[in-house]
Amino acid sequence: MFATDDTIVAIATPPGPGGIGVVRVSGAAAVGIATAILSGPSSLEPRRATLTDALDPIDRRPIDRVLATYFPRPRSYTGEDIVEISGHGSPVILRRIVEAATAAGARLAQPGEFTLRAFLRGRIDLVQAEAIHDLVTSVTPLQARVAFDQLEGTATAAIGAIEDVLFDLVARLEASLDFPEEGYHFIDAEAAGLEVANLVDRVQSLIASSRQGRLIREGCQVAVVGKPNVGKSSLFNVLCGVQRAIVADASGTTRDLVTETIHLEGIPVTLVDTAGIRATSDAVEAEGVRRARGALVVASAVLVVLDRSRPLDEDDWDLLRETAGRPRLVIANKQDLRAAWSAAGQFEAGVGGAVIETCLIDGSAAKPLRGALLRVLEGDGPRREAPAISNVRHIGLLCSAEAALRQASRTAAAGGVEELLLADLEEARRALEEITGKRAPDAVLERIFERFCIGK
Amino acid sequence: MGDGFDVIVVGAGHAGVEAARAAARMGCSVGLCTLSEATVAHMPCNPAIGGTAKGHLVREIDALGGLMGEAIDATGIQFKLLNRSRGPAVRSPRAQADKARYRAWVTDALRREERIAWILGRVGGLTVVGGAVTGVELEAGSGAAGGERVRARAVVVTTGTFLNGLVHVGERRTPAGRAGEPPSRDLAESLKGLGLPWGRLKTGTPPRLDRRSIDFSRFEEAPGDEAPVAFSFMTGGIDRPQIVCHQVHTTNRVHDIVRANIDRSPLYNGQIEGIGPRYCPSLEDKVMRFPHHERHHIFLEPEGLDVNEIYVNGYSMSLPADVQETLVHALPGLERAVMMRPGYAVEYDFVQPTALSRTYEAREVEGLFLAGQVNGTSGYEEAAGQGLIAGINAARTSTGEEPFVLGRDEAYLGVLADDLTTRGCLEPYRMFTSRAEYRLLLRIDNADLRLTERGRQVGLVDDRRWERFRQRRSRFERNLERVAATTVTLPDGARARAAQALRRQDTALDELARSGLRLDVAPDEEQVDIWSVETHFKYAGYLERQKATIERARRMEGRRIPPEFSYEGLPGLSLEMAERLGEVRPETLGQALRIPGVTPAAVALIGARVSAR
Repeated sequence: MFATDDTIVAIATPPGPGGIGVVRVSGAAAVGIATAILSGPSSLEPRRATLTDALDPIDRRPIDRVLATYFPRPRSYTGEDIVEISGHGSPVILRRIVEAATAAGARLAQPGEFTLRAFLRGRIDLVQAEAIHDLVTSVTPLQARVAFDQLEGTATAAIGAIEDVLFDLVARLEASLDFPEEGYHFIDAEAAGLEVANLVDRVQSLIASSRQGRLIREGCQVAVVGKPNVGKSSLFNVLCGVQRAIVADASGTTRDLVTETIHLEGIPVTLVDTAGIRATSDAVEAEGVRRARGALVVASAVLVVLDRSRPLDEDDWDLLRETAGRPRLVIANKQDLRAAWSAAGQFEAGVGGAVIETCLIDGSAAKPLRGALLRVLEGDGPRREAPAISNVRHIGLLCSAEAALRQASRTAAAGGVEELLLADLEEARRALEEITGKRAPDAVLERIFERFCIGK
Repeated sequence: MGDGFDVIVVGAGHAGVEAARAAARMGCSVGLCTLSEATVAHMPCNPAIGGTAKGHLVREIDALGGLMGEAIDATGIQFKLLNRSRGPAVRSPRAQADKARYRAWVTDALRREERIAWILGRVGGLTVVGGAVTGVELEAGSGAAGGERVRARAVVVTTGTFLNGLVHVGERRTPAGRAGEPPSRDLAESLKGLGLPWGRLKTGTPPRLDRRSIDFSRFEEAPGDEAPVAFSFMTGGIDRPQIVCHQVHTTNRVHDIVRANIDRSPLYNGQIEGIGPRYCPSLEDKVMRFPHHERHHIFLEPEGLDVNEIYVNGYSMSLPADVQETLVHALPGLERAVMMRPGYAVEYDFVQPTALSRTYEAREVEGLFLAGQVNGTSGYEEAAGQGLIAGINAARTSTGEEPFVLGRDEAYLGVLADDLTTRGCLEPYRMFTSRAEYRLLLRIDNADLRLTERGRQVGLVDDRRWERFRQRRSRFERNLERVAATTVTLPDGARARAAQALRRQDTALDELARSGLRLDVAPDEEQVDIWSVETHFKYAGYLERQKATIERARRMEGRRIPPEFSYEGLPGLSLEMAERLGEVRPETLGQALRIPGVTPAAVALIGARVSAR
């Protein structure tokens, strides 16, 4: 564990080259350290960017032309004095500025230490702390946007609003048990049942929106599968927009997994091209098939490629059966050749979804394919305006809360007494409180005394 | 008094009498100090024992072998089971007491204890040598035994509201522990001198009326239960005739009078500094804080069968006596009522219980125990519960035995001790069922199954109680087997295992008993016997879940923090947190986690430090 009262420094922008890089100094000595490594001025004006030079601590020669901005405590990111030095994005230059700061007395920050300080000084709550990490590690603008929404407290606010409704319901139910003779009608079973049902809905829709959030944060893997020589690698290349996989007329060209990350409207998608899946005696090919099956199992969506110019055989049908019920896109390739079967009508009904007929010789199929894949990944329905919960831990907790609320709903419907209903609701509260932060143990009683004139 | 006592108990209120009797039953010689024998187990406030969660405390006190349950069963004049139509975990008995008979019953019970010696006098201070208590000093001229020192291995202080007590009736302020009784100043200073942190609280009581001046036919009746549920596992049935109470409501006129005179209320003109309980608001608070309420419930409760005092429950106030009289007469039906004595507010010093361990022993003064209202609680039941646990532990330290501590998962008594010593008091502390996170397990029907064996182990449960308990436990176990082994016919004609059928919300055990399931119940304990078995099956899923939670919590509860552990300068801990932890000195990581403002991350940090040592 590290100290929390000294001054720390680190590169605040993600690693790798970029247009601008920021070095952040936080702590009581931040201003002193900053002025020591800058060519001037001798003092920094709060919240104003100053154009100056960062100097090498030994020969006092400029390292870089920089903008320095001073954020005085407590209204800074960490709640401490902060100076941010924006330089040009080269990792070498940024590292030299950090070294200058450590030479002047700062300590190199541990990963996440700025956020920890912000959290310890009450500047951010737990959800926001986690969101900052997401923002820092986000790789596409849409990812950054979702992380930013959480940073602003949108997700906290949405979960907090649900928690507050739940808490108020708990308080009234508790009041009915602890104060039975006050002449109050705190709540009745029917009203409680309705409120619980409403809470189930609200948590559910938050979870639904999280599906999109999770995709954006984590990206996803999409496996391209099919028999040998149906055009999997061609599809892969069309989606990537580059010749990444070797395409040949000979079947079984792709023997190992080939991956490439593409961005579909901001969602990072890792495409996995696989070996054609078929029974084989070739040891190398068999290994490729094994890996292809592995990719199929872990993928968040599957692209099943079929050859429309040849009749479907058992291998095709096996794949279709194996991938049924999963997010998938069925592609009938080789539209340019004479059709051996029709994808429309009965066949579509059989596979339970639209089949896209394509010709992958040129890139013209790329756009409709990307659109179709995006729809599969996001599930049906329009993009929601609800805040996306992009953190796996939060989704897990929301799911626990939902399960507990459903149980409460069943308890209420079965005419269960208040104390049982409360046991379920407390479980839901515990899960939500892990996200929004714990209320004090007396909070329920506080709420009751605040709202009701209790006692004789 | 020769060589002194094993245990001295200062004060003979509800905490003191339990402490004294427990220590005596456990074989200790006990000196019981009281100002007057006339106020032993006195009820200066409402004439009732029990109520939600409080009834649970009494059942637990009884299951351990304490006094309160049998005392109220023997002297109660109206019994009512609260929340009868709700779940078994929140059903709780309450009884109106005959105050004089209750006092007499308890005094008698104590007199039968040969090891208790009565010391009539005022304790002025404690004698402490080398951080350990060695006895008490009696004030000169205060009573029969004035001016001497009495030695003891352990001292239990149960002085209620007497420490620097100040009674307010309007502008009139009188130093008093209770109306008409002098306060304890020297003892208060002696305790503060030992470095115990303290604060100031306030509580209040309503005016008393003369029964003969009231026409009760004008009020709504509030009767008791036809088949009372007793507080004590020893009592069986109660078939005494019961009295009725009466209900009145406040009116706009009452509220107007309060508002017109609010500047004469010590609560509202700055005269009172102490913090009062929000769950027991004065009439002034009711009117001023809830102006939109059109009326408030008031109950007229007799203080006994053959006394004339009527307690006006819900009408506590500290306005001047003349205003109180006007307010009484403003209640419809009480226009001619005679006020026998006015209500009052009392302010008093209390010791912040975070300075105590869960045995109620002061951490910094070996052998000094504090119990009851002096620890910032309110209520006879909370006091008695602390007195019992403090008495048991005072007896055990005097013989060098291990502390006796109940967990939050074992009893409301455990919740009480943990809440007080972990969080301290910002207002007078009252027990509520919502304070118990394992509420479904802590029921009145199973208090004996939870605790009587523990009481037997410490030597508090006598043979008579033990024998009765063993019968009850074997009935319980036999009934579990029978329910598990029997198939019954349901109202819809289907056949099902009784255990399965009971899981349905609408199936009751006594119905199954009527349709062929043979149960073994004691005639005078039938309700409790049935509740225990029924809940065991009906709540099975929930009880399993709570037990699983307890198992997880136990890992934290089992991780002890050494008493000398230093929080100062622990990297990562904020100053406030370190300070709070230093004050409370949690005994386990679990307890540390319950201290307000201490974060899970901080506890993880402490845990890492503790295991690194």
